Amino acid sequence: MTMKTKFTFLVLSLLFGLSSCIEIIDDLTLNTDGSGTFKYNINLSASKVKVNSILALDSLDGKKVPSLDEIKHRIDKISQELRSQQGITQVVVDANYSDFILKLSFDFTSLEALQNGVKAVIKLESGDRPLNQIDYDWVSFENNKLSRSIPQLTIKQSKKLDDADRDLLKTGSYTAITRFGKEIKSFTNEEAMLSKNKKAVLLRTDPYSLMQNPNLLDNTIELLP
Amino acid sequence: MKHVTGIFLFASFSLFAQRSEELVPQQAVTVFSLNNINILQQISLDDLVQYEFMEELQQELFDGSTSGKTIKESGIDFDQKLNVFNGKGEQYTVNGFTFGIANKDQLFETFDDFLPVESPYPGTELYVSYFNRIAIKGNTGILFRIAPTMRLVDQITDSIWYARGNGYPWYNEDFEGIFEEVEVPSESIEPDMETEENTASPVEEYLPVAGADPDNKTYYELRDSVDFALQEEFILEFSKDLLVDGKNLMMRSPEFTEQLKHNSEAILFSDNSRRIETDDEFWYFRSLYPTFFYDVKELYEDNLILGDLSIQNGKVGFSIDMKYSEKLGSIYQELTRSKFDSHIIKYIPKEASAFFTYNVNMLQAYKKTYEVLTPILEKSNDPNVAGDLMVLELFDILMDEETIFGTYKGSMFGTYTDVKKVKTKKIVFDYDEDTFEYTEQEVEAEEDMPIFTLGFSTERTDIVERLLKRISKLNSNLHVENDYWVIDHAILDAAPIYLIPRKGIFLISNDGEFAQNNSNGYSSSLIDKNALKQAKKSGAFYAKIDLDDAIAKIPKEIFTERENNVVDVVRGKNGIVEITSTKTTNSGTTFNLNYNYDADLNDSGKYILDLINSIYVISK
Repeated sequence: MTMKTKFTFLVLSLLFGLSSCIEIIDDLTLNTDGSGTFKYNINLSASKVKVNSILALDSLDGKKVPSLDEIKHRIDKISQELRSQQGITQVVVDANYSDFILKLSFDFTSLEALQNGVKAVIKLESGDRPLNQIDYDWVSFENNKLSRSIPQLTIKQSKKLDDADRDLLKTGSYTAITRFGKEIKSFTNEEAMLSKNKKAVLLRTDPYSLMQNPNLLDNTIELLP
Repeated sequence: MKHVTGIFLFASFSLFAQRSEELVPQQAVTVFSLNNINILQQISLDDLVQYEFMEELQQELFDGSTSGKTIKESGIDFDQKLNVFNGKGEQYTVNGFTFGIANKDQLFETFDDFLPVESPYPGTELYVSYFNRIAIKGNTGILFRIAPTMRLVDQITDSIWYARGNGYPWYNEDFEGIFEEVEVPSESIEPDMETEENTASPVEEYLPVAGADPDNKTYYELRDSVDFALQEEFILEFSKDLLVDGKNLMMRSPEFTEQLKHNSEAILFSDNSRRIETDDEFWYFRSLYPTFFYDVKELYEDNLILGDLSIQNGKVGFSIDMKYSEKLGSIYQELTRSKFDSHIIKYIPKEASAFFTYNVNMLQAYKKTYEVLTPILEKSNDPNVAGDLMVLELFDILMDEETIFGTYKGSMFGTYTDVKKVKTKKIVFDYDEDTFEYTEQEVEAEEDMPIFTLGFSTERTDIVERLLKRISKLNSNLHVENDYWVIDHAILDAAPIYLIPRKGIFLISNDGEFAQNNSNGYSSSLIDKNALKQAKKSGAFYAKIDLDDAIAKIPKEIFTERENNVVDVVRGKNGIVEITSTKTTNSGTTFNLNYNYDADLNDSGKYILDLINSIYVISK
């Protein structure tokens, strides 16, 4: 098994194979000039017993479990990859390995730079495997409207998990927040909530529902002129 | 007259026909012999090769030749035993199996990579493939693989390498530049940590290519040549032993021959004395104390593990006889000369899905070990051993045996009750409704944890208490709570563990409720009298496991992959597993494992293979 596959296996095991909550927040802030900040938080603190017990093993279900050092190295690689991308700056990785909270944030000069950065990371992790997702645009801004969805790569991979694990996904949460410098006029997703200052929209679901319907967090947000 | 001749010929054939067990080589250290292989007929060969005990043959069988076939179609004679063996000597390892042959054409449709070669051994046909060999004598066959030990290959390769005037092979000039080109891992990685990036792949990619001059081989080429030459030599040696001189395990070990007469479903034979000589686990010990190792070898003589597996009317029984030399047996006899500790009874609740008791007498065992070992060590000329003997004697003179072995008597028990929620901490994100900005908050949480309690018999809880007091000054995670001690974040950096000194016993548990309410023993609802009677009656060890409750609920993650391979055999089964042991004599102990097997009897063939695989994994 290659290092990349090992890492992907671990990430999937941790993200989707845990009995108690996993909390993911993807937080996009778009400035009026098209630049912005993207934050991605993974919180496994509610499952740290399980994460620690998995990490204590050499292998699980016939697959090698990477060590904490290997994971740290891999995360460093991801942040290095992002730093090397044009239009991406201020890459910060805050990894808390006691509570297993990983916080990644970076600034981007344009939505294109953001997408290229994320695609570069996906490419890095997938190695030589062909990925249809790499050509897919999951965020765009046109006519004062922002359309966004969730990259479906991990969603598709999580379908390989067994039924027991899938049942457990229902206890986690996936939160997508989109923030703007201006007030929001309307949005298409009926499940979304508008912040009191009217500059942010929040959508939340659980990983199981997201797996069943990858378009659950799709939203088109129109801003006031 | 014709009838008489016919009967005579039949009798002669029956008496003198080769049987598969006769091809089990004398080099075999562990053998599984399946007596009734009829039940395996429906097993697909693809399923068969998935088992770990078949791993050596997987390359042969995973090539499509077995696709869709069952063992029935493999040409194997189901009236003969199937014997799977492995053995490791100082110079080479041998793995394989022996079998009866019903249909040679079918056999080679399965083993279609094997090509016939001229046999130098009278009455024997030989077939070879890239990795393995098949030898056929009459209607029996042996499929085997020989591999020289890595240590021997390295030793001879290094010797030739240096004799040719070469330098240290790992920093050969051919490698210059490799390490410069290898991407330097980030500073967070320890320099000695092995990762794919900094070791295997880059080195493999840059391996020196074969030189034009065959006499000027690279280290790896030389090593391959040595490996190949040794393998050829050992194959000849092995084949001559078995196929010409007829040296088999039955000749070497009367215990194995005796074991073969048992009519259980399968038998296990493992020569522990030879395993100790060659097992990698003892390599460090053998290297550090080469003469000492041979000095104490006599202790392990005749140390055998003999097992019988039976499945009848939905009941599985596995009996293991541990055979010892008289000296080793005398130590074990003293070790197990111990009374059942009645302190433990009140700590085993009726609800326990599994529990075990272990009764030993460390003081008696220490005294006997000293008595047996000292004369052996005195004979040794090894200066290291002399030094160790001096320390041992001083230790014996100066130490207070009664206090040491009064504090740690050796006897213990353990229970597994259930998976319970234990208190942990977690981080949650609190959202501001105005902006959806979020901040981290630490809150109480609960996680599933298998609940275990262990108890150690002791006469000196005062010493344990004194130690805990001192340690609590050094480690803030250890503190007193009520009348017990707590170590915070002790399990997987998350859940606490409770240390509870009580009269006659020192308890360790991860069950907070037990620590608070039952640490002086359960007042009611204790284990049933039958189980208790069995535990008392059993020798040193007794265990009872409710498969439905225990194995099904214990998370896979608490076991290693190897342990899971063993546990898998009882996953999904129900009933009660009971493990008992007999009183130990100076020649052996018998362990018995029994449980009900309620699955479909048509699956019994597969189930036997599951069991054999588990036993193989344990005995490896």
